[in-house]
Amino acid sequence: MTQSTSESVTKPKAGGHGTPPQAGHDEHADHGHGHGDGPHLAHHFDTYQQQFDAGKLGIWLFLLTEVLFFSGLFCAYTVYRAQHPEVFVYAHYFLNTNMGALNTCVLLISSLTAAWAVRNAQLAQKGLLIFNIVITIACAFTFMTVKYFEYAHKFHDGLLPGPNFHPTEQVWELDSFKQKHPEAAEFAEMLSKRAEARAKGTAAEKEAPLITQRPTEEQIEPLMKAGLIGPNSEEPMGISRPRNAHVFFSIYFFMTGLHGIHVIGGIIVWAWLLKRAVRGEFGPKYFGPIDYAALYWHLVDLVWIYLFPLLYLIH
Amino acid sequence: MANEETPKTEATSDLESGADPKAPAAVEAAKVAPEHDATAPNDKLEPTRQDEGPDSDPAPGADDDHGHGHGADDHDHGLAHTMPVWMLVAVLGALMVLTVLTVSVTRFDLGSEGNLVVAMVIATVKAGLVVTFFMHLYWDKKFHLVLFLTAVLFVILFLSMSLTDRGEYQTNIDWYQSVSTANTK
Repeated sequence: MTQSTSESVTKPKAGGHGTPPQAGHDEHADHGHGHGDGPHLAHHFDTYQQQFDAGKLGIWLFLLTEVLFFSGLFCAYTVYRAQHPEVFVYAHYFLNTNMGALNTCVLLISSLTAAWAVRNAQLAQKGLLIFNIVITIACAFTFMTVKYFEYAHKFHDGLLPGPNFHPTEQVWELDSFKQKHPEAAEFAEMLSKRAEARAKGTAAEKEAPLITQRPTEEQIEPLMKAGLIGPNSEEPMGISRPRNAHVFFSIYFFMTGLHGIHVIGGIIVWAWLLKRAVRGEFGPKYFGPIDYAALYWHLVDLVWIYLFPLLYLIH
Repeated sequence: MANEETPKTEATSDLESGADPKAPAAVEAAKVAPEHDATAPNDKLEPTRQDEGPDSDPAPGADDDHGHGHGADDHDHGLAHTMPVWMLVAVLGALMVLTVLTVSVTRFDLGSEGNLVVAMVIATVKAGLVVTFFMHLYWDKKFHLVLFLTAVLFVILFLSMSLTDRGEYQTNIDWYQSVSTANTK
């Protein structure tokens, strides 16, 4: 708040109360050479207001196409989840919620600094503007680094889309599964040992421990829901993963990948704007580029706000 | 939600930036103004500019020192609404709280549908906060809001239409699967 008061000194009023815009002066100016009005007023605009509004309309139209662009993948997700919930329940045990939550916070912070940067540009606070852009870029890099570790882990564990899907771990061996459903994990272990023994031959099958007791709800239900046993399992008679589990990872990699590409695009844009901010190009009349980049950045954040619960917080 | 914020905003932004919540209206007014003022002699504009004082230096790309050279440009301030810092920080705080909430609510079993609905409601509230405050849509031109809502509307149409016929070929799939498993055996 102390800062706000100092800002109010640098920029006390605006809003155009009785302040006539540019047009009055342009009457005398040669319209063909509008650059005389300032270094950042393109010659095809009469006023800074007009220039800003045109850019803002443009970025909003772009964001509209972006929303629809992403919606294709959200549609794939929605339809496949509605049709095969067990695949999503199965796959979510492989995702690290903490990493997802960390990335959510990182993106939210970068959204704050982006929005703040717009304010800094509007009030010609050059130092703060540079600071906020740097933090935004740093958060973007943090996001991508966390993403890198997540991807590397999945590559390592064979959690890849399509024919490359060869998970090295069974879902009931994962800590995330064991913590949530300890009884079911034990029961699954027993089932898989029996299945192994059966595969080896009759002698081994006889030695394997028999399942004598009727399994309880806690033992069976999580396995059913994750499609490990039952009609949706790859092996309806034994215990395995759900059919077409790799489709989740296709969706996962496409959604997070497209989002990641947008983050990289954002880094490039912010780096360019950082250079321009250092040159001191932005001020109360010319902050459009910062505003447009921030709007784009918020949309990237917005997409992640939905991706996080949809991918990481499946129940 | 947005309405609750209005009075506070008015007070702060009047102090800080001068771009009040009715900024769109002010912008409209500013746009109409030139029609009348264009004919007015330039010296009439001088007092206004001086009223703004040295602080009003807007010269883009120039440090405060240079700015006064571009006197003619001085008056074109409030191109858009300026978000007060406290509001930005408050929105971030709310977003963080909602993130913690959405993670911790997964511990409770509300039924598979229930958990999804809660997660989506929280995500939508977060999205609403981002769009309203970070993206300035509350103070922005209503047309941009219409654009955004159009996108949302079409996404909803897209998803719901796709959901309604998602099971259309399930019988074919089931038949194919039963045949292919029968053949392998």
